[in-house]
Amino acid sequence: MPPRDDDSGQWSRWMAAAQDGDGAAYGRVMAALLPVVRRMVARRLPGSGEREDVVQEVLLTVHTVRHTYDPARPLLPWLAAIVAHRCADLRRGEARQVRRTSSIDDLPETIGAVEPNMMAMDVATLGRAMAALPERQRRALELVKLREMSVADAAAATGMTPGALKVTVHRAIKALKGMLTG
Amino acid sequence: MRSEDLIALLQQDLAPVRRLPPPGVRLARWLLLVLPAMAVIVAAMGLRPDLAEHLAEPRFVAEALAALATGLAAAWAALASTVPGTPTRRLALPALPAALWLATIGEGCWREWLVLGPDSLVPALEPQCLPEIAAISIVPLAVLVLLARRGAALAPALTAALSALAAAALASAALSLFHHAEAAMVVLVWHFGGVALLSGLAALSGRRLFAVAA
Repeated sequence: MPPRDDDSGQWSRWMAAAQDGDGAAYGRVMAALLPVVRRMVARRLPGSGEREDVVQEVLLTVHTVRHTYDPARPLLPWLAAIVAHRCADLRRGEARQVRRTSSIDDLPETIGAVEPNMMAMDVATLGRAMAALPERQRRALELVKLREMSVADAAAATGMTPGALKVTVHRAIKALKGMLTG
Repeated sequence: MRSEDLIALLQQDLAPVRRLPPPGVRLARWLLLVLPAMAVIVAAMGLRPDLAEHLAEPRFVAEALAALATGLAAAWAALASTVPGTPTRRLALPALPAALWLATIGEGCWREWLVLGPDSLVPALEPQCLPEIAAISIVPLAVLVLLARRGAALAPALTAALSALAAAALASAALSLFHHAEAAMVVLVWHFGGVALLSGLAALSGRRLFAVAA
């Protein structure tokens, strides 16, 4: 039977158990919240092709900030605030990307040879694509790929679990590929 | 990766987390750390000699209490803003004491204007008090930012602005205990205006202050 939006009392108890380290309860509450998150994201981003990416961003944020949930309060307003934040993040990122993409044509060529200019353009484009990533993805990518920190160290620095960090880096690379080839 | 697989990944080796205490408890911790520091500053500077006289004036007391209440309400709101789902109207709580504070200062400015006319504007032309307020704000602001970073600052600019408002309003209240007598116009421009300026500057650096927290 699909989960219902009025199961929030049960979800609060599962989330409280998850805060105490109960992985099974965490799996149950996250599975129950997934369709709710999808609906919330669909309402906020109608027609967006990145809705499932945003859903996953929401799940990662829920994971990172799960300590901020107060089990004495309903779960849905807490979740809705996270969804709103992640959807706004996507819109900001898209707006930034549009602004930056439109200005690339104006970059002056300072060196006569074509190849150095092309290389400089690649670095600049990569920099812009990095800047368009959500804050958490950019930070994870910087620590693991640019500063070459170990996953454990980078996880400690960002407050994520190693698993969440790996997922975030993977998603950052996927997003970068999308931006650079799209 | 499918979202269902992501959940399975996050579920593995789930670590227990320390639940974030309610904003009221975190506010009490802030006061516990900050009030002794403010007391030391006031003691080091020495209470103003005419303090007893001023404490008999309802306007002085109302102004200082309104600044203090603005500081406390803003600190609570800053901490509450790091709990996702806190209703926006609750985060607007500091607007009430801030309006009262502005009203008491405004009333003082009006009285001075009636007596002195345009000359009442002259004392406000030179920057005063702002460096002191900024300096006294450093400790309360740093402690509040540390406490707020434990939460999830989904609106970092708002959290930063409220934090700076809290620290600077508290500093302004403390300043009124040891600073020499000031014209109401000075209080309006350099206390209230200074507090607003510091809050605005903090809002601009909100993303940097709370980048990792959310």
